[in-house]
Amino acid sequence: MSRRIGALVVVLAAALPITAAAQEHAVVFGAVRDSAGAPIVGAEVHEVRSALTTYTDAVGRYRLAAVRAGAIRLRASRIGYRGPVERTAVLAASDSTQLDFVLVPLALQLTQVTVVDKGPSRIVADAVTSVAVIDDEGLARRAAVRVDEAIDRAPGVQLLNGQINIRGSTGYAQGINSRVLLLVDGVPANQGDRGGISWDLVPIDDIERVEIVKGAGSAQYGSAAVGGVVHLVTREIPTGWHGHVRATGSAFADPGHPEWQFRDSPGWRGGLDASSGYGAAAVRGRVTGGGYHSEGYREQDARDFWHVAGRLDWDASESGRLQVGGSWAVDDYQVPLSWCNVGQCDTHGQDYLPFQIDIQERGATTRSQKGYASATYATRGVRTDWLARASWIRTEFTDHRPSADDHSLANRYGFELRTVSRPNGSRTVTVGAEGSLSDVDSDIFATHRQGEYAAFGESQQRAGSVRLTLGARIDFLAVDGGSLTAVVSPRVGAVTQSRGGIWRASVGRGFRAATLAERFVSTSAVGIPVVPNPGLTYETAWSFEVGNTLAIGRDALLDAALFWTEASDLIEPALDTAGGAHIQFRNVTRARLAGLDAALSAAPFTPRLKGTVAYMFLYTRQMAHDTVPEQPLAFRPRHLLTLSADYGVGPASVGADFRYSSRVEHIELEQLVAAGYVDGRRVAASVLDLRAAWRQGPWTVRVLVANALNYAYNLVPETLAPVRTGTLSLTWAY
Amino acid sequence: MIRSGLAAVAAVAALACDEGLQPQPIPTECPAGFVGACGTVHLRGTIPANTDGVFIIAYRTFPQTCDEIPDFVPFPPPRVPLGDTVATYTLPLPDGRYEWIVAAWKKIGTLTLTVADTALLREAGFYRDPPGSSTPGAITVSGTGVDSVDVVVDLDNLHPITDYLTCTVR
Repeated sequence: MSRRIGALVVVLAAALPITAAAQEHAVVFGAVRDSAGAPIVGAEVHEVRSALTTYTDAVGRYRLAAVRAGAIRLRASRIGYRGPVERTAVLAASDSTQLDFVLVPLALQLTQVTVVDKGPSRIVADAVTSVAVIDDEGLARRAAVRVDEAIDRAPGVQLLNGQINIRGSTGYAQGINSRVLLLVDGVPANQGDRGGISWDLVPIDDIERVEIVKGAGSAQYGSAAVGGVVHLVTREIPTGWHGHVRATGSAFADPGHPEWQFRDSPGWRGGLDASSGYGAAAVRGRVTGGGYHSEGYREQDARDFWHVAGRLDWDASESGRLQVGGSWAVDDYQVPLSWCNVGQCDTHGQDYLPFQIDIQERGATTRSQKGYASATYATRGVRTDWLARASWIRTEFTDHRPSADDHSLANRYGFELRTVSRPNGSRTVTVGAEGSLSDVDSDIFATHRQGEYAAFGESQQRAGSVRLTLGARIDFLAVDGGSLTAVVSPRVGAVTQSRGGIWRASVGRGFRAATLAERFVSTSAVGIPVVPNPGLTYETAWSFEVGNTLAIGRDALLDAALFWTEASDLIEPALDTAGGAHIQFRNVTRARLAGLDAALSAAPFTPRLKGTVAYMFLYTRQMAHDTVPEQPLAFRPRHLLTLSADYGVGPASVGADFRYSSRVEHIELEQLVAAGYVDGRRVAASVLDLRAAWRQGPWTVRVLVANALNYAYNLVPETLAPVRTGTLSLTWAY
Repeated sequence: MIRSGLAAVAAVAALACDEGLQPQPIPTECPAGFVGACGTVHLRGTIPANTDGVFIIAYRTFPQTCDEIPDFVPFPPPRVPLGDTVATYTLPLPDGRYEWIVAAWKKIGTLTLTVADTALLREAGFYRDPPGSSTPGAITVSGTGVDSVDVVVDLDNLHPITDYLTCTVR
């Protein structure tokens, strides 16, 4: 194994570009301070385009003397502080410019702060629960083509075949729901019919950072935020011309066992993405486009994908900005569905073949199209901010299968009006109204619509070192124009700083409305009818969290949280053998999820070496009901361990991630497994990813070897997780 | 800190040694820990066009009346793979004695677990003891798997339940 990896590194190193063009240079200097004005020693200051890096001195000052003239992007970061914080400027040759930075202590991310240029969004700033932030460097180093591939290693986060779990929130129901809300620049973007998340909705190169808020967020964001929020923040558009081109190529490894060989040569994936934009003083715009073709790592796993996206910003006044954005993506893919068991293909004497499929499903394809458009107008005043937005999410899929064709077209229209006032220096009050209307026209979900209308309010009050948050939201739900059902989601939280670090505590109630798909689905699964349940109601959960963020010396930061969720009326598929065998989504479950979510980040030996150890212990229980005994919730691993390390020297960096997920104790509909309808075999996941990067001027080369040990595992039944995949990406930015 | 780093490396090494999914030959006997019956199904004849599937089911006693027809276990029953002429099956069963292990052919349609299901079901074969005889074989399950409960399915000779008892479809 090590010989193979070594050979790969040699080959890739030989492919690295060498650029040594003469440059005209300028000087940039300044200081890095914390939010109290104190100098920060040892902060890293990095110029993105030229890959120059330096560190602040004993009084928090830095100087970069050989910066290439032109537009520069300067980032300052330091372990224990929110960031990196980025500033941009245009330098003439032989010019010198001062750029100062303010870094916010990481623990103080939970307070309302204003930082230079960019900082945490309102979603993070207002949070009283745990938050994980993945910046653009964190996204880029994964060399991913979709954002879910990049966030899958975040502490406490796990994606099951594309379905996101934050602290075990969602489980797995083949994409037919989500207990996590997706926001794109603050705009809700879950699908209108299934409530799931289309991870390819926004081009990953347009995303500046991903903010993951853990715990119940319904008091602010309503349905689907019951288990947390994922916020995609797209890049700001700097002044002048800018853009990039990224070419990506991947190779999928052969199966690790000769019994599983299914093709003569390894599969590959190749793609090209480009983005270009221009920013003037008042108006800025950007367009992005690209696509890729993949042969896949399994039999019948090919995919063709392309997308376009755009954003336009208009600073209509000194305090007001209109932001218009949108995207459209088309995904044509073959459907591997379940792997092949005895009798479903020629297994050559094997009990199952994880790389091959049931011959009855050969030829199955799906065409998935999705897009969104949104417009947000926001003003910022001394005491009052206003925001108004409108949005439209459209998703459509057509399944072509040998047994049947399915189709669904869904729209989700949304609006929001919000005002944030600061009557004095210690209080912030947010009040707003939000609504959405979802409709679906489908042969399996029928034709229906669902309205969700809400009013919300929250007050934050500082008292000494304590920030108190008290808020509530009332949602009114209506299906097909029927009577309104009201759901109240209150939340209270507190954040305080002491010698023992920053403490936070919160209690909140979340809810999730049944999706149109859960309520009205009519299809079959493993030969058993799946029937509608129009009487399905919403599910609720009370979530508690106590957390602490503690700086350990100068170079380490520990964040730990104990969480506890009591859920009622959870919507789960149930097999009913009375009155004709069928599967139906029902409010059958009262459940409990509790555990520990901890992460230690440190630069123990040198600022160039950064490491993180994250661990989540998750205890889940589905309470006994009907004839079902008390048992663990399905698709929730008890242990989730993530180790990450990165080492950088000048323009080069190397790193690794390791993720261990314990074997899932329980999966859905065990009766079907016991009867042989579903192959219930599953293992723990032990996945090692290796990466390297080299920056030289406008060029960046990245190498990622995902699942470097070629570990064969599955997180959901009969679905093999990705094998070892070597990816080489080359980016040119201007 | 160095100790912590070494501990982390050791943990990674230990966890990475887990073998993951492995090739597994078709089992010839009941898996360890399995409780029920296991065996082979030998398929003969031509699969009818309106076939939904062939299922293995078990009765504690041979059904005597129409109302006892839905009293089989387990539910849902395991489906017999139809891709090969010989397939293996496992039939999870509670402890007890079972007098009729039968392969039921099912026509396309939805079962209701009532007597009306007899219109959709045919007997396609059953476990015989001794093999080749016409006598249904009985098995006793007692906390383990019972091996070699083999069944021959003849898709050219499907028998309605009325061959065994008088039963009027209501």
